[in-house]
Amino acid sequence: MNGSTRAFLSDFQARFGAAVCTPLGRRTGTLRALPASYDRALLADIAGDPARAGARLAVYNRQYWFRLFGVLQDAFALTARLLGYWSFNELAARFLREVPPRGFDIDRVPDGFEQFLAGAVSVDRVIEPALLLEAARVDASWRDVFAAPHVTPYRPEPADVKLLLASRLVPSPAVVVLELHWPLLELKQGLASDPGERRLPQPARSTRAEWWALGRTPTGVGQRFLTPREGELHALLRRHSVGEALERLEAECSPAERATLPERAREWLARSVEYGFWIGLERNS
Amino acid sequence: MTDLRRDSLGLGLRVPHYDHLFEHWPDVGHFEIISENFLGPAEKPRRNLARVRERYPVVLHGVGLNLLSHEPLDEAYLDALCRLADEVDAPFVTDHLCWTGAHGKSHHDLLPTPYLPELVEYAAERADAVQRRLGRPFGIENLSTYVEFRQSTMSEWEFYVSVVKASGTWFMLDVNNVYVSSENHDFDPREYLAAVDFSRVLQVHLAGHTREPDGTLVDTHDGPVCDEVWALYLAAWQRGGPFPTLLEWDARIPPMPAVLAELEKARALRTEDEHRP
Repeated sequence: MNGSTRAFLSDFQARFGAAVCTPLGRRTGTLRALPASYDRALLADIAGDPARAGARLAVYNRQYWFRLFGVLQDAFALTARLLGYWSFNELAARFLREVPPRGFDIDRVPDGFEQFLAGAVSVDRVIEPALLLEAARVDASWRDVFAAPHVTPYRPEPADVKLLLASRLVPSPAVVVLELHWPLLELKQGLASDPGERRLPQPARSTRAEWWALGRTPTGVGQRFLTPREGELHALLRRHSVGEALERLEAECSPAERATLPERAREWLARSVEYGFWIGLERNS
Repeated sequence: MTDLRRDSLGLGLRVPHYDHLFEHWPDVGHFEIISENFLGPAEKPRRNLARVRERYPVVLHGVGLNLLSHEPLDEAYLDALCRLADEVDAPFVTDHLCWTGAHGKSHHDLLPTPYLPELVEYAAERADAVQRRLGRPFGIENLSTYVEFRQSTMSEWEFYVSVVKASGTWFMLDVNNVYVSSENHDFDPREYLAAVDFSRVLQVHLAGHTREPDGTLVDTHDGPVCDEVWALYLAAWQRGGPFPTLLEWDARIPPMPAVLAELEKARALRTEDEHRP
């Protein structure tokens, strides 16, 4: 392969790529390409009417941003609607400048956006930061469940009973357990019948936290309500062996709850196996 | 390898059409998938693809090969592409004569270069390597472009034809792209068609485009095919048909019956042409 050809392309693509990624202006209240900020040498290389070179290059510049905004808006649909597209796109642009797309898979572009938001949102925003981050968690979880590979759910063997307490249940990548303080799943599902860019009103905080499991279904992503202690158990099971998770949960319970905990925990575990929450059992080393 | 009828009329497989497709199994010659949408591990897209493949031939159309980048071809991408092509037993695989990323960043767009003889050699060598790796015909698609460069020493079609010829690969000829570029750069699209060796055309694409307020045509795939592109398609058919034809509709996607009706226009146009004295 000719080294000078590669060097030519490297230089050309660095200059053209910089124009493509030039941030769009926001001053007029709409997102606009700013051809005056493009590299003059690159503009001079464009054939045809010099007066139109910037406008032609701007087509690529706009396509870059709006395509990626669209990908992030789809992946974080609830977050975008709660924040409003104008504010969401501003955050998205900052994220894309910090974490530019790499690799061929455009669906991976939103990877890390939830973590970025955690460091980016501040109290002077139009929405309560905790609500925004919880909405991002819901969107990211939905995306994780959808993108999970095919897995075979764990089905216990009789011999596993003896090992259970000392072992760790391996969570399925197709199931996510969420603790929510706002009715965000309801809002997320409502988006299907309320498309568009209208900003959603900020929902009222729930009187108490709710636990939900998101899991893959034959038609997409489904949700299951979990009782509070059941949700807490599942959160503990993601970090500890079954025995330790149960001990920690028991320590949180009132005496009345403790009396029925063994029976209820068996029910919750059986239900989680039935719903495919796990893909295996790992002996705790 | 699955055979595709030379006169097959196909559609780009798009998610909003799955419900209609799986209920009605319409008479479509083949489906084309965007390769990158099926390279990941997600279960649902793969399950849907398997259902489609049970009934229709499936061809692969990529947007991420990055043929003209200064960077080496992505080996992991090529491995995944080969696996997918094998999985659906694709009659052929296609991608674009462009670059999509450089210096470690992906722009997720089909970007042009100057048209230079040294880039013909560069692109041809890489396209040949891709075709060998795939073990099946590899087609290169011409772009819609919004800029051309003063450094170019060849026309767009001379560049395109030279790359295909030098690489021993095939044409994935998009007549909408020919039209869009011809309007944006003021050349005769029929001169472009005259340069193409239709015995090497794997497939012809049709799509809609948008005219910007300043007159620039943008390849948006968000509407029906315009009359001028239909006329160009007919000219291509008369010059080199039959060839497989594929309608792309990627934005503001209407219900599947509307897209099928648009595809039927291609059949009607060809039939009308056959009966013309």
